[in-house]
Amino acid sequence: MNIGLIIIILSAIGIVCGILIFIVNRFLPGEPESLKKAEEILRHLPGANCGACGYPGCFAYARALAKDKNTFFTNTCATVLQEPGMLKDLEKILNIEVDPSKMNKKAVVKCCGNSSVIGNYSGIKTCNAAFKLLSGYKECPYGCLGLGDCAAVCPQNAIQIHSARGGNIAVIDPEKCTGCGLCVKACPGNLIKLVPSDTKIVFLCSYDSIKNIPGRKKCSRGCSHCMKCYKTCKYDAIVWNKGKGIPEFDSDKCTLCGACVEICPQDTLAELPKIISECKKEDKKENTSRNKLKNVHAAGLPGKSN
Amino acid sequence: MNNLLTIFIAMVIVNNIVLAKFLGLCPFFGVSKKLSNAFSMGIAVTLVMLIASVSTSVIYNYILAPYKVEFMKIVIYILVIASLVQIVELTIKRTNIILYNALGIYLPLITTNCAVLGIALINSAENYTILESMVGALGAGIGFTLVLIIMSGIREKLDLADCPKSMRGLPVAFLTAALLALAFVGFNGMV
Repeated sequence: MNIGLIIIILSAIGIVCGILIFIVNRFLPGEPESLKKAEEILRHLPGANCGACGYPGCFAYARALAKDKNTFFTNTCATVLQEPGMLKDLEKILNIEVDPSKMNKKAVVKCCGNSSVIGNYSGIKTCNAAFKLLSGYKECPYGCLGLGDCAAVCPQNAIQIHSARGGNIAVIDPEKCTGCGLCVKACPGNLIKLVPSDTKIVFLCSYDSIKNIPGRKKCSRGCSHCMKCYKTCKYDAIVWNKGKGIPEFDSDKCTLCGACVEICPQDTLAELPKIISECKKEDKKENTSRNKLKNVHAAGLPGKSN
Repeated sequence: MNNLLTIFIAMVIVNNIVLAKFLGLCPFFGVSKKLSNAFSMGIAVTLVMLIASVSTSVIYNYILAPYKVEFMKIVIYILVIASLVQIVELTIKRTNIILYNALGIYLPLITTNCAVLGIALINSAENYTILESMVGALGAGIGFTLVLIIMSGIREKLDLADCPKSMRGLPVAFLTAALLALAFVGFNGMV
């Protein structure tokens, strides 16, 4: 008798719950149109919720796209751009046309310097905290501190802190970088810039004449405004920005002959695809030359355990 | 009235659901990384606890107790709580999109969370009336939110602290939770 009662109670409660859900589902107004569209868009997004587009998560991004499809151009999802299949689906749903070759970007740390250190910094080990104190502990206020705020946010693990180049400098692997721009926001010194992915030569220094810091006195690799690269280029691919006193590169004319990289007395220029190997090459040179002492000094920097 | 106040305070701090009863530890560690997330989660849990404990105490007092089938309560509570949360989620999704943005992703997570089920079971074990179990659930929800907010505040600071590599992240959070629980032992015997 008891078992029969239990079965009756359990199934009665189950049926009542089921009917309640049915009633709610049937008689409430349907999902708002924008939400439905957003859910469809969401199915064609990567779903990594990396937040690189500027929205908190893919769902928020999908809702922004549902509201205004041009959001894709202002806040581009870098992961979709890398995957032709996904991009095609998204183009179909949003009814837009995207030229990925023009949208693709790579992040570059605009510093290659070995600026010496003012003092031993032993505070919180993030660039953000260090930068708030006297704009960092390096002599050049536009020098990479190498505490790795950018590496911590990079979803692709594309950023490494190299102890090469006479100091701890973040180097971004252009092969792995998707140009999401998270590191650009994370860098307190605004040293990371997004460049078009077809860029050939990059200028690895962040100060210019307007900022009025004589780079070569602070760091042996800062631009000395000698204009040698500009004079060397046979293809008119380098334009000298007189106001800032720095070279600017025209990637359409550049043939990647490497003459400017070769001639630069300060080693401020690098070829974008070779940026990592350049860095490793530098490693050897630095360790064998007279800079050895400097390197030892730099190795005791914060960022390493002391 | 005095009785209700006692139940409320006991649930908030003395018998805190996380630090004294060790229920709901999964969201306690999972959602306590950021203060804003912790607050939303706490509100969502409080809401679900209130709804769940009211409905389960109605079922307990008017169906299970009269027919003497109290031993069925776990099965029935899971069924009722799961379907109620489903209904609440549907309603919020269809009617109030702003509220859905704030709480939507947390609701399915806590459908059959042990803290929610635990409160329903505690209410029936103590033979609370409907009003008493409502107050108890409100207290438990507020206690949960309080602990989650304290913990997330500490964890936000802990992220910046210079602790050994092996202890970074979850291990040091466990230690912190232990110290927090010790602190809450101080409230023992208050009610």
